Amino acid sequence: MFDLKDDVNFSELNQLIVDRPETGEFSVHRDLFRDPEIFELEMKHVFEGTWVFIGLASQIAKPHDYLTTWIGRQPILVMRDASGKAGAFLNTCRHRGAVVSHLMHGNAKYHVCSYHGWAYDSAGRNVDIKDQKDAGYPEAFEKQDHGLMPVARFAEYRGFMFASLNADVPDLETHLGATKTFLDLIVDQSPQGIELIPGSSSYTFKANWKLQIENCLDVYHLTSTHPSFMKIVERRNSGDSKHALKALDFEAYRLPGVERGSFTFANGHAAVWGANPKPDVRPLFERVDELTQRVGQMRAKWMLSMRNLTLYPNVQFAENASLQLRIIRPISVNKTEMKIYCMAPVGESAQAREHRLRQYEDFFNATGLATPDDTTAYEDCQTGYQAYNVDWQQGYERGSNQLQFSANAYAKELGIEVESCIAGPFDIQDETVFRAGYREWLALMKRGMAKGGA
Amino acid sequence: MNPIHLNDVTNLLHQEAHYLDTQQWDPWLNLFLEEAEYWVPAWKSEHETTSNPKAELSLIYYATRAGLEDRVWRVRSGRSVASKPLPRTQHNVNNVMLGNETVIDGVQVLCNWTVHQFRTKPQEAEVLFGRCEYDIVHHDNSLRIQRKKVILLNDYLPAMLDFYSL
Repeated sequence: MFDLKDDVNFSELNQLIVDRPETGEFSVHRDLFRDPEIFELEMKHVFEGTWVFIGLASQIAKPHDYLTTWIGRQPILVMRDASGKAGAFLNTCRHRGAVVSHLMHGNAKYHVCSYHGWAYDSAGRNVDIKDQKDAGYPEAFEKQDHGLMPVARFAEYRGFMFASLNADVPDLETHLGATKTFLDLIVDQSPQGIELIPGSSSYTFKANWKLQIENCLDVYHLTSTHPSFMKIVERRNSGDSKHALKALDFEAYRLPGVERGSFTFANGHAAVWGANPKPDVRPLFERVDELTQRVGQMRAKWMLSMRNLTLYPNVQFAENASLQLRIIRPISVNKTEMKIYCMAPVGESAQAREHRLRQYEDFFNATGLATPDDTTAYEDCQTGYQAYNVDWQQGYERGSNQLQFSANAYAKELGIEVESCIAGPFDIQDETVFRAGYREWLALMKRGMAKGGA
Repeated sequence: MNPIHLNDVTNLLHQEAHYLDTQQWDPWLNLFLEEAEYWVPAWKSEHETTSNPKAELSLIYYATRAGLEDRVWRVRSGRSVASKPLPRTQHNVNNVMLGNETVIDGVQVLCNWTVHQFRTKPQEAEVLFGRCEYDIVHHDNSLRIQRKKVILLNDYLPAMLDFYSL
């Protein structure tokens, strides 16, 4: 394994990714998935070095609402203050370090540390140091700020909240770039925006977090990882199964003329998409007339298409029949936590909402009929990485010969700038889409290590 | 209709556990009426599960037995890497009580449950536990499950969870 700890060594980092655009070659060294030292560095330079998603503004809709989450290894408290302004703070008392908020979410004007009673308001200000007056604190202490430590940067784009522990990052909108168009395709599904349906679930898998990053953009695995799901959908359609649930029929993507493809964007973000030949199985379809009128035919069509968006490094929006929000939290080099939610347009009919829930549970839940096959495959990969004599993956080169570096017709239709794009029939199942994330990984690692952060 | 005694329903729950542990899927399914509801709610906060499967998320929700039949088909298909090999499971049912809710031609039953499972690929044992509510009714001279609600207390799921581990 590489020894990156002793000093900054760019050449060692460069040796971990083969990236030769002129020949189409691209590979990733397996140490990215299995080396604990690399994991520690990427927590610092990737997860704690750039913008990460921390929640939806609607999760803390009212003054004093809060939620707790993580940025990389660090516990975070996201709160809305009395004036309605949202902020994010390190969830640790300035006194002796205990987390000041213990629950997943709630509403509280004050967060009082349960150890020595220091109290903070919902703007993160320290409002009480217990028994301060006669404590004999030195002047220097009295002059210190005792408020909760805010994150270095906090910003929202249309209700999607992001934070960075590193101040030296571009504005959020610059960071998101063309992916804002994809977020708009989610938010604009209703004039009132989108919401999280109550209830969520968390699961872990014993594998590196990058397996999840890849999987959401990986069209190639569908027919080999999920044949049981595809066959069950077929059995429901034929009546062999008495279960009447209408789900997305992946076989429809094979129909002649049905195109799919991918886009990669600046800063590691990427998306895969597929035209949807059977949009009527989607709960969103009930709104098609309203959508067409409000956002136009082109955007309505894209809203009803299959789209998986990955905002590097920690959030994914997966939309096939229903719409899923996935938040990735790496725990260790070979353990990852996923927190997942079902998203829906505000104001959809009760019938569509119920249909959406059943589709989501069927496909996306860790207790469903598709996700367990993915997570099991990740764990099988992680076990396989113990074959240390094998260094390089062979999984990033499908589509190299078709890759375009300027906007294709689909990117032009959406009016977006892309780093690369590809489109074609079912079997294209390209892997060039993963490259953006690894390029961003390398850039963030180099930037962090150049600052002496190794 | 004969009254249903605690002993009768306890036997039924033990039978269900046995069928699951010995992978006898058809007799297991047959304990459920065709119109049986099967529900594993999700959690909303530290102490509250979702309460309305039509408007809130569940871990699993089926209005009829057909959803469970899909899952049994999936296990048998051999086409799901998550279900091959299956974990070895041990279902334990205890604290069985008759509940107070009125069930036509039947009884409400409450119990606690624990499942120990051994996943053979990672060679690891896991434990899952919670409470259950059943509606158990007379049907064709036998007792059958008309509704099963599973409260999973440790819902920080280990990669996957399916009917055979609940």
